[in-house]
Amino acid sequence: MVVGVGDGVRGTHREMSSCFLDEETFCQCCQLFLQHSHSLCDGWSWQQVKGSEEGYLRKTTLGTGRTRCNQDQQGTSSDQHQERTFSLSFHDDDDDDDGAVCCIQEESSSVVQYEYHILYSCSYQTPVLYFRASTLEGRSLCLEEVWDSVHPNYRQRLQHRPWDTITQQEHPLLGQSFFVLHPCRTEEFMKPVLKAALEEHRQVNYIVTWLSVVGPVVGLDVPLSYCTQVPEPPHTPSSSPQPPALGTKPG
Amino acid sequence: MSDNAESLTETQKDEPSTPQQPTEDSGTADEKKKIDVLLKAVGDTPIMKTKKWSVEKGRTVQSLSQFISRFLKMEANEQLFIYVNQSFSPSPDQEVGVLFECFGSDGKLVLHYCKSQAWG
Repeated sequence: MVVGVGDGVRGTHREMSSCFLDEETFCQCCQLFLQHSHSLCDGWSWQQVKGSEEGYLRKTTLGTGRTRCNQDQQGTSSDQHQERTFSLSFHDDDDDDDGAVCCIQEESSSVVQYEYHILYSCSYQTPVLYFRASTLEGRSLCLEEVWDSVHPNYRQRLQHRPWDTITQQEHPLLGQSFFVLHPCRTEEFMKPVLKAALEEHRQVNYIVTWLSVVGPVVGLDVPLSYCTQVPEPPHTPSSSPQPPALGTKPG
Repeated sequence: MSDNAESLTETQKDEPSTPQQPTEDSGTADEKKKIDVLLKAVGDTPIMKTKKWSVEKGRTVQSLSQFISRFLKMEANEQLFIYVNQSFSPSPDQEVGVLFECFGSDGKLVLHYCKSQAWG
């Protein structure tokens, strides 16, 4: 669509910038997201980093995961919903002193405590989902267990290249080890949605759309009401990291 | 698989001007067990030749996603995403009947789908 050189460039400029998220818009989307979370008691909170303007969304929740049994669970288990394929008493009677060896390959469905953080990545210009996962006994899940806990809908894609999907990294703000869902291709699934919205002169809340896509992969449910009840942020005319267009400003 | 009675049933409607007639419309006493779904491709994702489908209410998003993936013969490194309201990806465990109640209009549920490598 060519309206004029200035408008044409501006249109392109907006289209390019709309696929990415600047930090200011990230914060605005998060705050709007939070308001709805509060109304639902959905458990999200904003964590401000001390002495910094940076912050992130945080939520802890209980979910299920595939975990390997270990020496913590001798006899009774505190995971009430645990299912096992064979009795633990086999291992109670085991006189093998090596406590670390206990049905290594066997996995069962257990209650897992998840802690999710939504951070902004300056390098990717997208949000990034970090998370921790531990059993109720406080044992952190290992990477393989996290991979095995991925929702079946995404399992095939994950198994194709697990190291490209979920790995462990140091949390950029806390410095602790977290699992992270790789953000390099976020633009791939966000761009068509954002582009359609732009063409139809409507906006979306980036965080709501993004989280609805990535959350379910790692056990994070985003209720449907977020889709309709969270407003989009106010249009930010010149917050794009792209260099300004030829003297024109959108909005 | 697409013509299997157990999976999605293709509706016969190809004329856009004809009002939607779900197959069970004559049975007014019974609650309709199926809903009409219109599938729209997003971005560079291939367009399905058949776009209108009659889907059981209890069918999950995951089930529908698997169906579309097979229909499109997707690769192992690709992931299919389904959107309601052109902006929100419902949980894979969500039932399409619920989505229809929330987002259906003119007797049908419009779902956009997009394939992507998604992560990496």
